[in-house]
Amino acid sequence: MSESSPTQEQAAAPEPAKEKERLFGLLDLDARFDLTRFRLIRALLKSRWMPLALILFNTFMFMIILVATLLGGFSAGNYNFGIMLVWILWWVLLMFVLVPVFARAWCLMCPFPIFSDWFQRRRLINIGEEPKKPWGLNRRWPKWLKNMWLMNVLFLVTTFFSGFLTVRPFATFVLLGSVILAAFIVGLVYEKRSFCLYLCPVSGFQGLYSQFAAAEIRRKDDAICKAHKKKTCFIGNEQGHGCPWLLMPFKFEKNTYCGMCLECFKTCPHDNMAFNLRPFGADLLVDTKLESKGLDEAWKAFIMLGIAVVFYLGFQGPWGFMKDMIRGTTLPGFLSYIAFHTVFCLAVIPGVFLAFCWLSKLASGNREVPLKKVFTGFAYTLIPLGLGVWVAFSFGIILPNGSYLLHIASDPFSWGWNLFGTANFPWTPVLTGYLPHLQGIAMLLFYLFSVDYGTKLARRIYPEPAQAKRGFVPILAALTAVTFLFLWLYMG
Amino acid sequence: MKQRETIALGLMALATVGTLAAIFGYERYRRATQFDVVLIARAPEYGNWDPRTITVPRGQPVRLHIRNIDTVSHGFGLPAFDVAVREIEAGTATTTTFTPDRAGEFLFLCTVWCSERHLEMTGKLVVQ
Ligand code: SF4
Ligand code: SF4
Ligand SMILES: [Cu+2]
Repeated sequence: MSESSPTQEQAAAPEPAKEKERLFGLLDLDARFDLTRFRLIRALLKSRWMPLALILFNTFMFMIILVATLLGGFSAGNYNFGIMLVWILWWVLLMFVLVPVFARAWCLMCPFPIFSDWFQRRRLINIGEEPKKPWGLNRRWPKWLKNMWLMNVLFLVTTFFSGFLTVRPFATFVLLGSVILAAFIVGLVYEKRSFCLYLCPVSGFQGLYSQFAAAEIRRKDDAICKAHKKKTCFIGNEQGHGCPWLLMPFKFEKNTYCGMCLECFKTCPHDNMAFNLRPFGADLLVDTKLESKGLDEAWKAFIMLGIAVVFYLGFQGPWGFMKDMIRGTTLPGFLSYIAFHTVFCLAVIPGVFLAFCWLSKLASGNREVPLKKVFTGFAYTLIPLGLGVWVAFSFGIILPNGSYLLHIASDPFSWGWNLFGTANFPWTPVLTGYLPHLQGIAMLLFYLFSVDYGTKLARRIYPEPAQAKRGFVPILAALTAVTFLFLWLYMG
Repeated sequence: MKQRETIALGLMALATVGTLAAIFGYERYRRATQFDVVLIARAPEYGNWDPRTITVPRGQPVRLHIRNIDTVSHGFGLPAFDVAVREIEAGTATTTTFTPDRAGEFLFLCTVWCSERHLEMTGKLVVQ
């Protein structure tokens, strides 16, 4: 783009008024509500104590979790503080509110990479007088790995052990310990948050599902960014570090790789960064040269859906033999679980989806559109649906087990403590009678989002509206089928 | 500015080392003040009673704190002094008090059929 002045742009022939896209035909997709208009929030976002204060709090929490998972021994899974906090509280918070509403809000307060940051920056909170070379080798991440594939694999492999992670405290200790250690070691070799961008097992799905979130960090005014030649948000200044997630805050359009670290609020001398609330799902339509839709994200969507099915069958479903497989009761059972799980997530789901995309292309009557474009494009319709599945799954965790939290808060190590006097709080399932209904409602709600964005994506895949309409029918059928499958699983 | 870094470092130390110190300090204090013997219960294949032998003085009340860190229920019985805790559920802890009024060696045992090797889940109380 040339650096044209605003007046020139106005003088150019007025663009044919582009029809505004609306969510469910109601909410303007470009609508934004910038929270920095409140002075208090603006001050918070610009303070160097944010997000460090939250990170320090979570460092404290994870210290307790590590001790609990290490010394809790073989206490019953449901009574271990670490397991409860990680797999019931943390996981549910992630899937319930943090990711679907606030994007990578967890990464904002995540304690895992703090030691790496601290080492590289040589300071915990301050910036240092002049730009100093960061410690560590500071290598660039290899270009061919700058995508989600590695995280896809790592996350899938982590789920192989889900049966142990939720029962054996020590397994959770090993997992958390290795994430924290890996974050540090990777930080010694590679620049900034390379670990978070391309390795962290919980990063991939947060990035993918953040596209659906109702919050975003973005520049306010393009013109201000253009005029500001010294891109301090990228290179850093005395107020803050250049974007640790290697984004260009003056340019990016998609939540996926923004860790919400808030540095750009500090480094922008024009206060041009906004913390916006926005309509759900706005990023699902983004497809620019810099942030193009890709197969890596498509596969992430498949994997997340596949894992949800397998987890449901293995943890909440009625079939005992599957539980035994996932818990590794016998080695052959465990291995067949791994094999089934992997093939199902990596090949079966994408294969079935591909078939529907092929039908879509056939139905559209458009022969020029490459099948790959249809496939990657429509894969994004699985993002709202996948989130719905996970929200429904989370209901199934928190309602029956939530009351344990009171118990473990008082006696985190099963040492017979009673810090808050709730150690003997009995197990009280909450609203479990309504569980299937809540799960059903969640599924249907997110299904509607998928359908709505599906029609919009169809318009981007097929040039002609009529083609788009016809081409969307098979996808609609697929989305509906998946929804019914889960409704059947959850509601019986 | 310098000060801010110091505060941050202090908070970091508090969140890490401080947390550890608080956890273990509190547990030590509790053990020292609230009971005399801590006993860990696990099925024999996972470690059995720990310790297997408890030594206490004669004539003084003993506060015995039993932690079941196993995945199955256990029980505690000390027939010589009529002590019985019928069930200690997995992952829970219980406290019981008794006064040994004679010296000698006495058997204590698990009273819940907890594993194939349940019968091996025994220990020795030495009263001096
Ligand atoms: S990517 Fe992973 S390690 Fe990095 S901030 Fe997010 S959750 Fe933490
Ligand atoms: S754009 Fe970069 S600097 Fe700004 S909040 Fe996101 S990750 Fe941080
Ligand atoms: Cu026993």
